[in-house]
Amino acid sequence: MSGADVATTTARAPRRPEPSRARRAVRAARRVPGVVTASVVVLAGVAVLVVLPLAHGSALDQDIVLGTTPAGTPGHPLGTDALGRDVLALTLAGARSAVLGPLVVALGSMLLGALLGTLAGYREGAVDAVVSRYVDLTLAMPALLLAIVVAGVVGGGYWVTVLVLVVLFSPGDVRLVRTAVLQQKHRPYIEATRVLGLSGPRVMARHVFPNVRPLLLTSFFLNIAYAIVAMSGLSFLGLGVSAGAADWGRQLADGREILYDNPAASVVPGLAIIVVATAVNVVGDWLSERLDTGMSELAEGSVPA
Amino acid sequence: MSAFVEVDDLRVTAGDAPILPGVTLRVEAGTTLGIVGESGSGKSMLVKALTGLLPRGVTATGSYRLGGTEVDLGGSDRAWRRIRGSRVVLVLQDPFTSLDPLRRCGTQILDSAPGGRRSRAERRADVARRLAEVGLPEHVADQYPHELSGGMRQRVAIAAALASEPEILVADEPTTALDVTTQRSILDLLAELQASRGMTLVLITHDLRLAQERCDDLAVMYAGTVVETGPADQVFTSPAHPYTRALHDAIPPVDARLDRMPTVAGSVPAATDAPGCPFAPRCPLAQERCSTDPVRLGPLGSAGEREVACLVVGETVAGHPSTGPDVPPVEPADAASRSDTSASEAPSVGPADGAKPALLRVDGLVKQFRGATARALDGVSLEVRAGESVGIVGESGSGKTTLARCVVGLERPDEGSVRVLGRDGPVNPGPRDVQIVFQDPYSALNPALSIGAMLAEAASVAPPGAHRRTVGELLRLVGLPEHYARRRPARLSGGERQRVAIARALAPAPRLLVCDESVSALDVSVQAQVLNLLADLRDELGLALLFISHDLAVVRQITDRVHVMRSGRVVESGPTETVLAAPQHPYTRALLASVPGAVLVPVLQEEPA
Repeated sequence: MSGADVATTTARAPRRPEPSRARRAVRAARRVPGVVTASVVVLAGVAVLVVLPLAHGSALDQDIVLGTTPAGTPGHPLGTDALGRDVLALTLAGARSAVLGPLVVALGSMLLGALLGTLAGYREGAVDAVVSRYVDLTLAMPALLLAIVVAGVVGGGYWVTVLVLVVLFSPGDVRLVRTAVLQQKHRPYIEATRVLGLSGPRVMARHVFPNVRPLLLTSFFLNIAYAIVAMSGLSFLGLGVSAGAADWGRQLADGREILYDNPAASVVPGLAIIVVATAVNVVGDWLSERLDTGMSELAEGSVPA
Repeated sequence: MSAFVEVDDLRVTAGDAPILPGVTLRVEAGTTLGIVGESGSGKSMLVKALTGLLPRGVTATGSYRLGGTEVDLGGSDRAWRRIRGSRVVLVLQDPFTSLDPLRRCGTQILDSAPGGRRSRAERRADVARRLAEVGLPEHVADQYPHELSGGMRQRVAIAAALASEPEILVADEPTTALDVTTQRSILDLLAELQASRGMTLVLITHDLRLAQERCDDLAVMYAGTVVETGPADQVFTSPAHPYTRALHDAIPPVDARLDRMPTVAGSVPAATDAPGCPFAPRCPLAQERCSTDPVRLGPLGSAGEREVACLVVGETVAGHPSTGPDVPPVEPADAASRSDTSASEAPSVGPADGAKPALLRVDGLVKQFRGATARALDGVSLEVRAGESVGIVGESGSGKTTLARCVVGLERPDEGSVRVLGRDGPVNPGPRDVQIVFQDPYSALNPALSIGAMLAEAASVAPPGAHRRTVGELLRLVGLPEHYARRRPARLSGGERQRVAIARALAPAPRLLVCDESVSALDVSVQAQVLNLLADLRDELGLALLFISHDLAVVRQITDRVHVMRSGRVVESGPTETVLAAPQHPYTRALLASVPGAVLVPVLQEEPA
């Protein structure tokens, strides 16, 4: 629903009072309790992301004298870790690195996928050959192992990990988009644009891509969930964020040593990873399903009433 | 009297929405009942209800008796399987999807055959016998469906259906996906099998002409109700219900050219439970009571063979049993609103003395696809003059679609040339002068774009000199209301979509429109509307048409000259009237003879002078 659609609409027929797309989506979402819960989690995550940079500084305040305390200690509802940092504050602060990086990974992968996939699918020939070999090559390598090697060689760092994951995640999207574009290409409506003499980029952007978008969006949410797990995993191995930073994977690793003194120090960030990854997955699943039915109206229209 | 199949007040509903508000049918043992209707008439739902294949959430109630025993319409899947397996079988429209592509034909036929454990040799003999019954050689048993032609596949599907020795065969559009000549042989086969097995046949079709030719009795459906029943010949020759009459009139005759196809405005509405005739809003005879009073099937005439669900006609005829119902012809004009756009620029048609300049010249076109053994095009030459309408006729595989794709530049020919002659200069390579309308209206429009966006974009590529049409203008041109610009294709019917596809093709102000089977996928009444539209556009805009079709009757209505193609070659050409009235080539004659209900073409012709 681009602005162009509205602009080209010359009709002035009375507008029917139809509920907007967004309103219909909300109404449909209410009927699925799981989606409601998951949405709340995702929204809470976003809120934490926005609010927390303010509290970020104090979350890392150490109190070596205090050391590990169990959950329920006055002033520290989830206790403190070995360095005397408040587990609750640390976990909330960790949400930032836990979600921001994966978001960038999924976004980058989606952009690369859309660009290279559309190009390869539409142009075919040499362009396709090059892109497809890149895809084959990256898919053939064990992704996480490669990330570990790169992080080890370059010296780790949060954004290095993000970059490596973008490169490793994008082949899936490229392949997805390429296949979809190849299927679209021979549809009569795309051939009609060729007969009209429209330019290649224009056909790709305006005619092919909108039909691929729902697929890509599904993959986007899946990628976020995968990336959350992958990045926490790398942090757990000490390859993600720098030592001392607030990060769930890191907390999980550090918490192992004080598992008996304060189980919350590792259990809470562990749970956070699981809950957020699942929530993103559920919301993404539901969202793409809805978008998908929007696209398959094509079939719906042909069913006799 | 009790018939073999008795359906009484069968109601099918999805939740609260009625799909079939009450259908009553009878089929005598060993006869053929044709159920005729357009898309949306509910004929497919009726078939599903009678074979227990209703989708989830859709329920059927009413009485359904098969050979004297009551069938539980809401029965379990298991109960239905017993009935489907032995008593009723279904043959579907598309032989390309009704067989499992991964299994050999022989095993698929044996799947439904009765008789427990048998030796390998016995099973082989059984398959061979069943294949022979449908006119196929024994080796087909070892082949996969993709190795067979469409007609052969449909024969295998029929053999598989008959393997369970059913009493009733329900065929849902069994020949719609096939070529005319193949269609005829499959229908002949069904008739033979019916006679030899004494089977009862229910033939579902949208083609009234075909139903009349092949069935003993007809039931015409509209919006989920049966509006007329009776012996096929009588229903066809003197249709009583205004809808049946409209349907009958919308069939293009193969032996004559009509100035204008009679049409009915609007389209089939959704079924409702409301009293009143569902056809009333479109009916030329409608009176006030038609939309309020309940309508039921009632006897027509004194013979008691025919029934009609019409308040007006039912009465008229009751008084005059001997004569056919006196129904005035349906509105001959396309009632869709159309403003007078004839004044819009007509492309320069050349000198007014009648010698129109050539617009498209195709010379010695050859095309062979990689991996194919035969040439798709084998030296095709033809010419289309400005404002002229030229037909290309042939069956699938004749190369007519490849020709169309070469003309619009979607395929590059191996040899030969396609030249579009310019307005001023001799050669103008501008592809925008030639546009195409495809066959399937459901895949012709991008589901992600609004109609307005689609048309605006198409209009934006019009050559600089030409008048640039607005979206509203384009929609009016094809008889659609302007507010459709905001809609997406999903909310349009098949006919409306095809109109949009035509509008899109017209947007860049082309001088030649290639129609590749553009009306073949449409219902008869919609087809008539679109044919009228194309004829109007040709006259108003001075548009030339290259009209490609397998349907000789349609070609007869719209073209001035015709080329008959077979295996990539043009086998016969000439003025449409001459070629169809006095075909010279045996292939043209065969094509003509396979048109359902075609009058016999005189085979002996005078040698052309």
